[in-house]
Amino acid sequence: MLNVLRNATSRTLVIMVAMAVGCLTSARVFAHHGANLYDMTKTVELKGTIAKFYWGNPHNEVAIDVTDAKGAVVQWIAYTEPPLVMLERGWTRKSIPVGEKATMYIFAAKNGSNVGTLNRIVLQNGTELTAYDAPRPATAPTPAPAK
Amino acid sequence: MRRLLKGTLAVVLLGLAVAAGSRALRAQGAKVPDLSGDWTADRARGGFGQSLSIADMGGRNRGNEPDIPYLPWAREKTLSEKPSTGPNSQFDVTTDPQVVYCEPPGVPHIYLWPIKTKFIPTTEAVYILYEIGPFFRVVWLNSKHPDDPDPQWWGHSIGHYDNGDTLVVDTIGFNDKTWLDQMGHPHTEKLHLTERYKRVDQKTLELDMVIDDPGAYTKPWNSHRNFTLSDTGFLRYQQICSVRENQQFFNNTAKPAVGTASPK
Repeated sequence: MLNVLRNATSRTLVIMVAMAVGCLTSARVFAHHGANLYDMTKTVELKGTIAKFYWGNPHNEVAIDVTDAKGAVVQWIAYTEPPLVMLERGWTRKSIPVGEKATMYIFAAKNGSNVGTLNRIVLQNGTELTAYDAPRPATAPTPAPAK
Repeated sequence: MRRLLKGTLAVVLLGLAVAAGSRALRAQGAKVPDLSGDWTADRARGGFGQSLSIADMGGRNRGNEPDIPYLPWAREKTLSEKPSTGPNSQFDVTTDPQVVYCEPPGVPHIYLWPIKTKFIPTTEAVYILYEIGPFFRVVWLNSKHPDDPDPQWWGHSIGHYDNGDTLVVDTIGFNDKTWLDQMGHPHTEKLHLTERYKRVDQKTLELDMVIDDPGAYTKPWNSHRNFTLSDTGFLRYQQICSVRENQQFFNNTAKPAVGTASPK
């Protein structure tokens, strides 16, 4: 996660760490394949353009292109539960508009890779879609430390 | 003589037909519990978890649950497994046969999945449908188990109605390839599973189970699941296990998270 923070601060790539207090006790978080690969204790915020939305088994995937401080595009991929479960939460295969701006909150890989588990996504029109209905942070997200 | 034989045969056939019809009528006339609807895990009441252990549904105490009477080998086997989900999951090296081999979850493991269940009652059987697979089971009513059933993924199920409000399902003839739940609890071909499905109100279904496997556990033990009525529609998406799709998912989201990250 430190690598994420070191690499991430920029005008267009805004990463904030939000302490999602209570996530550790959420049975639903543990329903995912996350415990040894992703940091399920906090979310990372990603602002960018939706590059891909895969709607299918075994899990949906959302890819978002984020531009870093040097102007390079970095693609992040986060997954949700399968369509069967996401349909229960109001999602459809048309929920995520490819090409539009969005903000994603993910439980990122512990090793700093650009992958993770999707917590929620806020679309350009303000629509917020929850992947997990994990407890929200007890406090407002804290900006990453300035370099 | 020929006429006598024909007459006798006709009487016998008529008798058999009447008997069969009577059985069907009795079955139709019996008070059949209303299990209609689409049933999903009731997360609010702990209906969704990782383990069949009632004392440790989240799987944090795997191998040391106070309500699972392990034989020593079964405890060691449980602890040797690498679950794909749960608090100690090791997805990249999991031994979960559903993930590794795309094998059926079997029962009761299927009730650890976030899917809906549907019951289709007929006079001869209750068909239990699941959104994953899609799989189904046949619970034969007014029937008996075969004397020596072939061990299979879903076993052989017979059932009856109890007190007019409960469907009782009795299953034997399992193979030993499935886990009982997400935590890797094993079982043997001696597994004898009893399920009692009861609709306690319009929107609530409860399932009580007795897991009796003298090959793996010192005595029968109990488990329980809660379900709630869903109105989102059954099987709107087919939860199919595909090796190709699993590999794509692993390569996209899990493989990069394993080990040391490559430089960005």
